[in-house]
Amino acid sequence: MSHQLGRVVSVILHRYFGEIVQQVGNDLFMYGSKPIGLIVKTTGLPRVKVIESLRTLLKFDLASFEPSTNEVIADYKLLPENVLLFIRYPRYLLQMKSKYGSAAELIVEELLQTANSTATVLLITVANKYKGDKDKNIELKILKDTFISLATAGYIQQAPVAVLKEGSELPTLEHVATIVPDLDLRTLQQAMTMNLNDIKDNVYWKVNYDRFHQDFRDEVMIKAVSRRIDENAGELMRHLLQQMYLASAAWAPESNPTPALELRDACRRGAAERPLLHQYVDQYLKVLEENGGGFVKRIGDASGGQYVVRAKHAAEQLVHTVLDHTVIERLGSKAARIFRLIRDKKYIEEDDIQKNAMLVNKECKELTYKLLEEHFISLQPMRKAASAGGLVKAVYLYHIKLNDVANTAQEMCYRSLHNIIKRGEHERKLHARLLDKQRRVRSIVHGMRMRGEPQQNIDDVEETLTPPELAVLQGVEKRLKQLSTAELELDRNLFLLKWYFMYPH
Amino acid sequence: MSKSEEIREKIMNIAKKNPKGISAKDITSAIPEISSAVLVTAINELLQQELFDLFSQGDSYVYRLKTTTSKQAVKGADNEEKVVYNLIDEAGNKGIWIRDIRIRSNLQNTQLTKVLKNLESKKVIKAVKCVNASKKKVYMLYNLEPDRSITGGAWYQDQDFESEFVDILNVQCLRFLHQRADKMKNNPRGPIVGRTQSYATAAEVQKYITDLGISKVQLDVEDVITILNTLVYDGKAESTVYPDGSKVYRAIESLIPPPGLVQIPCGVCPLIHKCCSTGLVTPQDCKYMNEWLE
Repeated sequence: MSHQLGRVVSVILHRYFGEIVQQVGNDLFMYGSKPIGLIVKTTGLPRVKVIESLRTLLKFDLASFEPSTNEVIADYKLLPENVLLFIRYPRYLLQMKSKYGSAAELIVEELLQTANSTATVLLITVANKYKGDKDKNIELKILKDTFISLATAGYIQQAPVAVLKEGSELPTLEHVATIVPDLDLRTLQQAMTMNLNDIKDNVYWKVNYDRFHQDFRDEVMIKAVSRRIDENAGELMRHLLQQMYLASAAWAPESNPTPALELRDACRRGAAERPLLHQYVDQYLKVLEENGGGFVKRIGDASGGQYVVRAKHAAEQLVHTVLDHTVIERLGSKAARIFRLIRDKKYIEEDDIQKNAMLVNKECKELTYKLLEEHFISLQPMRKAASAGGLVKAVYLYHIKLNDVANTAQEMCYRSLHNIIKRGEHERKLHARLLDKQRRVRSIVHGMRMRGEPQQNIDDVEETLTPPELAVLQGVEKRLKQLSTAELELDRNLFLLKWYFMYPH
Repeated sequence: MSKSEEIREKIMNIAKKNPKGISAKDITSAIPEISSAVLVTAINELLQQELFDLFSQGDSYVYRLKTTTSKQAVKGADNEEKVVYNLIDEAGNKGIWIRDIRIRSNLQNTQLTKVLKNLESKKVIKAVKCVNASKKKVYMLYNLEPDRSITGGAWYQDQDFESEFVDILNVQCLRFLHQRADKMKNNPRGPIVGRTQSYATAAEVQKYITDLGISKVQLDVEDVITILNTLVYDGKAESTVYPDGSKVYRAIESLIPPPGLVQIPCGVCPLIHKCCSTGLVTPQDCKYMNEWLE
């Protein structure tokens, strides 16, 4: 909960929900948890607006509530981590599209936009939306099947249910086990014609972010192994992770052991695509253990070898790599050499750094102090117990506190994310008039096309945007696109750091 | 041969057998017929001829035979010079610091500098600057090659660290490792064979560097290992130990491509900690961002 996080959360809320929700969010972020009355007082907003904002926040799972001390009113609290997930939405959609096709993408998109919805309403809305769209070929049956497979795979889950406990005035949200629904196609088709309000379905669904994050994590690990060794090893890592899900908790720091036998089976099934992997499974396992960044460890010899996936260790390794890259880009590759040297030796004196890093003394000192200044490394003085002589020499040892450095990096990510979003807003504001004009021209042209008006008229309307204006618009679009790519990349970076922080250190 | 000469010869023989030194007792036990008066004159003569060094050990004195070389080198030198010379000689190619000479020789500072200057002008000793501490001078015999710890080895030219040389070697070593690294990927003979093929021992790298002819000085395997270690610290290589104890190296890729943070200007911005929503440094009018977006 840092100042930088507050700034990012604030701009994200502003972008997606507007100023009022942003004000309420800021207020909650600053004061922790507080009841409605106090929010009204500090923000100076009308009570109705505050309630409306809170409703939005609660709906999107961006805030939580719990009974206040007097048990009659509720205290509201912002969940900043969930606000940050908004940046990740495009990634969720991409994941769905590549894994389950465009129908899944549409379902998840709709569900993300509405925060929660019943299965019937969700499917019907999507079906209605794309009824006329022939390219996508969205049928109710496909939608229904996709929905069921998504629920089975755990990408969507049932929303928590409000329960009013005895002796309490306030409901609490209780998580319920997801039961994969048995949707009837005929009822769905009937419901298509009905008014949405008349539909009787009271099981609400929402997106299960955690499931997506598991996918992202696996992807990162597989890619890392592929880079280090080769694609076959990456494939083996995938098999290992799949086995891990069967026997361990998804985010366990260290998975339960997987026998090599099962891995061999899995490789045999994929032998057609990867003959090398099938042929040399045992060798690949050995190489993966020894050269795969320590993601995998052999812990026993039963049933042909027992292997565990060390997710916590992997997260640490990846954060180290992120930090290495950051140091390289910020202070140069020589500073990175010192940084890695200190990590390697754990605790090291200044003189030893110079000897091992093979740098000019002066340069080496300068870079070491720079690293210290930017909080990448820390200094530990070791004073000897008072000796007889007046000269008490202290030894200064450099070392890396990974947790602290990762925090520094996270702060930098927050700051950068804030800057990128702010800059995007600024660009939009600067060219608001032009962007608005472009939008109007487009909608007019679209309308004219629908009505089938002659091409001559359409051209006339299109020409109201002069060539210089078009050039400017192109520039703006390019910049905005670059900024949003940067947002996504930053989010990937943050994801690694969050993964690391997930485990206690 | 006179009698005194005979006795001296005998004492010399005893001393030669005991290079650690002999005491008066050793002599009397070896030559029982000798009287103490004769012994004293004989030893005094030997000391005068500078065949012996005199040490005190506990209550008794110990005589030690001087090595012949040191005796010859300082012909025509006075006593102080000899003492200093011997101290420097003892230090060998590690050299000895002037302060240590002063403490051990018990000479006055001014006198000592004079002696040292004298010896230096005679080209008997030389002063060598130490790499670890630029102001520290050590003395050693003129004909000796300074030790690695004094000169810093191949990486130093006149006490200056040659960082360019190190950089070039660093790049060349990496190139050599890269040539092999690809053999690991999808090797038809299995990953372990591939891995072995992608490893390079320090000796192989040394041979490659020598064949390239980029280095004027002869590089040892040890030197190449230091260079290869810098590659490991650069994160561009990893090292393992073979069963026979030799170290092997392999070029590697970093686990992930450059992360999002460093792909945008903020990640590398020197002003990131001064950047605020208002004020002089803001994301809205950031110059770095302008350049990046163009």
